[in-house]
Amino acid sequence: MTTQTLQTLEARDVHISFGGIRALSGVNMKLRRGVVFGLIGPNGAGKTTMVNVLSGFQRPTSGTVNLDGADASGIGPQKMARAGIGRSFQAARLFRDMTVEQNLMVAAFGAGLPAARAARAAHEILEWMGLAAAAGKRCDTLSYGDERRVSIARALALDPAFVLLDEPASGMNDAECDALMHTIAHLPARFGCGVLLIEHNMKVIMGVCDRVHVLDGGRSLAEGTPVEVQNDPTVRRAYLGEKAAPKSAALF
Amino acid sequence: MSVSPLSPHAPATTDRGPAERLLRCWFPVLALIVPLFAVAIVSDLAGSVMIQRTVTEALIRIVVVVGIYVFVGNTGVISFGSVTFMAIAAYATGWQTCCEALKPITMPGLPEFLRDHSYSLFPAALAAVALAALAAFVTGLVLMRMSGLAASISTLAVLFIVNVVYSNWDSVTMGTASMVGLPRYVTLWVALGAAVLAIVVAWLYQSSRFGLAVRATRADEVAAAACGVSLYRARLLAFTLSGALMGLGGVLTAHFLGTVSINSFFLKLTFIALAMLVVGGMGSLAGAVAGVVVTSVVIDVFRRLESGFSIAGANWSLPAGTQELVLAGVMLLILIYRKDGLMGGREFHWPSNRGKIAGT
Amino acid sequence: MSNIVQILADAISLGSLYALVALAIGLVFGVMKLINFAQADYITIGAYALVVPSASVTPVLLLGALPVALMVPGVMLVVTLLALATERLAFRPMRNANPATLLISSFAVSYFLQHLVMMVHTGRPKSVGIGNSLAGAVEVLGVRLPGNQILTMAVAAVLLVALVFFLKKTPMGIQMRAAAENFQMARLMGVRANRVIAVAFVMSGIMAATVSLLLVIQTGTLDIRMGLMPVIFAFFATVIGGMGSLPGAALGGFIVGFISVLLQAFLPAELRAFRDAGVFLLVILILLVRPQGLIVDRAAKERV
Repeated sequence: MTTQTLQTLEARDVHISFGGIRALSGVNMKLRRGVVFGLIGPNGAGKTTMVNVLSGFQRPTSGTVNLDGADASGIGPQKMARAGIGRSFQAARLFRDMTVEQNLMVAAFGAGLPAARAARAAHEILEWMGLAAAAGKRCDTLSYGDERRVSIARALALDPAFVLLDEPASGMNDAECDALMHTIAHLPARFGCGVLLIEHNMKVIMGVCDRVHVLDGGRSLAEGTPVEVQNDPTVRRAYLGEKAAPKSAALF
Repeated sequence: MSVSPLSPHAPATTDRGPAERLLRCWFPVLALIVPLFAVAIVSDLAGSVMIQRTVTEALIRIVVVVGIYVFVGNTGVISFGSVTFMAIAAYATGWQTCCEALKPITMPGLPEFLRDHSYSLFPAALAAVALAALAAFVTGLVLMRMSGLAASISTLAVLFIVNVVYSNWDSVTMGTASMVGLPRYVTLWVALGAAVLAIVVAWLYQSSRFGLAVRATRADEVAAAACGVSLYRARLLAFTLSGALMGLGGVLTAHFLGTVSINSFFLKLTFIALAMLVVGGMGSLAGAVAGVVVTSVVIDVFRRLESGFSIAGANWSLPAGTQELVLAGVMLLILIYRKDGLMGGREFHWPSNRGKIAGT
Repeated sequence: MSNIVQILADAISLGSLYALVALAIGLVFGVMKLINFAQADYITIGAYALVVPSASVTPVLLLGALPVALMVPGVMLVVTLLALATERLAFRPMRNANPATLLISSFAVSYFLQHLVMMVHTGRPKSVGIGNSLAGAVEVLGVRLPGNQILTMAVAAVLLVALVFFLKKTPMGIQMRAAAENFQMARLMGVRANRVIAVAFVMSGIMAATVSLLLVIQTGTLDIRMGLMPVIFAFFATVIGGMGSLPGAALGGFIVGFISVLLQAFLPAELRAFRDAGVFLLVILILLVRPQGLIVDRAAKERV
């Protein structure tokens, strides 16, 4: 169980523009401990940018990121990590020449845990995720599916109050994806953290999330329970539009 | 003996006695140290004075190359300035220990506590190493803020700044002339002790949380930041520790040769030390040590061939400079065909690890 | 007044020399992320191509004996072939290596070439008399400027203009800029990597040859380290200019040249020997204020 006291992670009226291109326009969202929060939207909707903002990798052009209400915009990724925001990347970005366990130890030490507790935490996380057998393997020898799961395990080793998972199931087959979503759904109960989950597949996310936020073209389209969002007419239009004409959706 | 990846935190998956656990944990170090002891004993008992000198020199080189490795190997950032900290420590120990009668005449600009006094060897060495570490720390405060490549280039500036200053600060350094008359206490055994110390320190560091953090930045800066690692602090610590070990190398060099001159700590030594590291492989401590051993043998062979040999009654010699061409050539071939060096970025590991490590 | 004009002329001519070297380094860095130490040896070997190999300190002229119209292209040809050879034999096989590996390999290439020259020509400095006719002074704005200084400025100006024209107007130049911006993307769009890189090396060779001739005309001596200091200064020019930015490299070259000349002029006599240390110190201070350099290359910052 995490030792972090942080309760909320919040984006307030966040705007991001890259050299004239608006990636996010006035997005608000509030993540709470113990809640799985889904972030969906078509390609280019700004989902990854949002994760970058919330984890301190991208400073908002305007607007703020708040930890328990206190402004934490621009403190940088390292301090965000220490404040209890763990994240995974779309490309797993493991430390490839280290073992799986060492990857977790880097994060556990990064969180400031003493050696014995860091080792125990890493061990427990690997055990829980069914990766114990891979603990001593170098990461450049892992299967694709294991790589993705190790990257989640590493984010958890940071002893986070929130984990932000950027398309953790991309490239997995249906069975692997289902198993992973089952794991993710149980993260709050096991680790007491909040979860932000980015996922393309509407059906997958509806089964896992307590709340869902829909982005489209850098704007918030809707937020609510999965059922509310599913029945929202603007969301239906955006998603049906995407299915009917994938090319035009990619332009967003 | 099997070669397998670095894993100081490998869990004890099966029940083993504490003695075996300790052995497994320290095997990568023992595998480096024990052969060095063996070589030292053999050359002490059976070798000529020439051979003993060659082995002593190689042991000092191990200190130097391990010193560079602590920064370059663990961070992945090339440093061209590390030998600067050798120079700083070599002069510092020289000022404290050399030629009490001559100092006021040859180096009148020294502060009084150095000019008119001499200090015992061990405290002098410690002070010199501490000064080198401090110099590295202060330099690192500035340089480690830069991106990897810019930092690499800036280490060149450090090399040149100290070279220019020491070459021209005549009243303190005797300019480009050699400071002579240092006590020559670095025997084979002193050099061996220092090499063992350097290896153990480097191992303790890279197995520690700080070493793990800095190796994470080497593998992926972005992911390391997401794990709460401060790139700046991690690199600064590596640079400072590297500076201290370079200082130790400088002290040993000074008291091995008995003389100190600034131009022996410049581009040529930088090149040789980096070549040794590249040949062995920058990614592991075993690579640093193996690189020194292999490269020292190659250099020694060509040094002998340059000074003349006879085949079928006729005398031959390779032209002077062949040594350097061969060394540069070997380094390039390694970089092209075996980028991670002879050791491939791995440490020596306890054989029973074999079954557990997949893909090695 | 005349003193100031003289200092200004010194600064511009030294700055333009460094700018040429920095641009050569910047061009190659742009297309393959290689910081090329061997640029120093291109310059040195270009100068040594003027004389017949021997142990003599006043060697017989080789290319240097030719009329200017043949000597200049001759030196350029030698240096260009050398640059291409290093690219083909050493750098191409490790093109996909990371920049740190490339940097250290160019250090090895440089060491190799330097000792090759030493083996062939011995390590002793030599004197050569080409361009003696330029030693005469010309009066400009009431100040007598040495002819070789005016030549340096003129040649640098011509080359800078030619380079800008090449990069902005010719198809190859445009491809090269595209490659510097984003190499993978440029390849997808049909830029041929081998050709672009080879052209970058040819251009760095031509600039190195120019610099070696200008250095020989200015100093009248050959030294196996003659290329080293200009290239080290040019490295810093590219770093303070912002790595990957060509205008930055040129700007950085002028800044380093100016700092050097100003320190030489205004440092008290007893500190003048420390001038180069001062230049490096100021460069590091600039980098402390702007770690990314003056002109930040957008492609240099990694996307998460």
